[in-house]
Amino acid sequence: MKSAYITVVGNLPVRFDIDQARKLGPVVASANSNKSMEFDYATVNTETTLQDILNSANFRNTELLAPEQLFKKYVFFDGVTCLPDFPGLKSYDIDPEKCSTQTLSLMLAVYLRQTIVFLVGYDISNPTELTRLKSIMLANPTIKFMYICDPPRTYQLDDLDNGFCDNFIKFQELIDNAG
Amino acid sequence: MQDKAVVYKYSIKLMWPAMCRNRSVEILKDRPDLVDHMNKFRQKVENVLKIVCRKHYQVDATYLMSGVRLWFESGQDCYEFIIRQPEFEWEIQPELSVMNPVTSQLQTFDIVYTPTGVTID
Repeated sequence: MKSAYITVVGNLPVRFDIDQARKLGPVVASANSNKSMEFDYATVNTETTLQDILNSANFRNTELLAPEQLFKKYVFFDGVTCLPDFPGLKSYDIDPEKCSTQTLSLMLAVYLRQTIVFLVGYDISNPTELTRLKSIMLANPTIKFMYICDPPRTYQLDDLDNGFCDNFIKFQELIDNAG
Repeated sequence: MQDKAVVYKYSIKLMWPAMCRNRSVEILKDRPDLVDHMNKFRQKVENVLKIVCRKHYQVDATYLMSGVRLWFESGQDCYEFIIRQPEFEWEIQPELSVMNPVTSQLQTFDIVYTPTGVTID
């Protein structure tokens, strides 16, 4: 059965058992920022990182999504898949080869059409990253984005109707209820 | 426990021997020698796949005028089959199809032979 939830793990290291989040639905990793965990999908756009991931045991069952040029170089590796053509890439001014992997993960989550996207370890300290996150949220008003962070909570997403912020305790409660 | 379903992610087309290509069904009905040649060719391909592949593979049963479509579960097996062609003197159509599990689309890329191996364009 298709899940309604998806978790995006950003570029920041996470001190949370992400395995538990898989009870809610698929989990998307951003490159190899959190190498000790297992994920359903991982986005990657540099060759060195892809090689590192291919040599990591934890990513053995992970679908690795790479932009077309990189994918073509590693096409014969079973776990490597070509990133879809995300709609609106040009209007967001995003180059999949150069942008952050957390942006790619977020776009993948939106592409997979889940109704709630949890953002864990998602770096919004960079203004470009925050702007891109907000643009994607605005373009997808039917999807709810739940930003999970340690206290104090951020108010950066409060100006959007589909942006929420909560802490890891609430996230854990949700996972427990799902289990 | 139920076995995980086999997903054939990679596909290539192996051309029939020159004399068997572009033959209509009517011609094949009149030429049992060609059909026999094609059946033997398929059998030989199966035997080679048995030797080359470490994971699942499939020879497509659908008749195509130009060749026979092969499906591989593993990219490593597919690569091995492609680079060992000179041994068998077969001709592969220089196109690789790859199933994208995220979009469920079969993407096609050109196979480019280089002196050091095979690249995809």
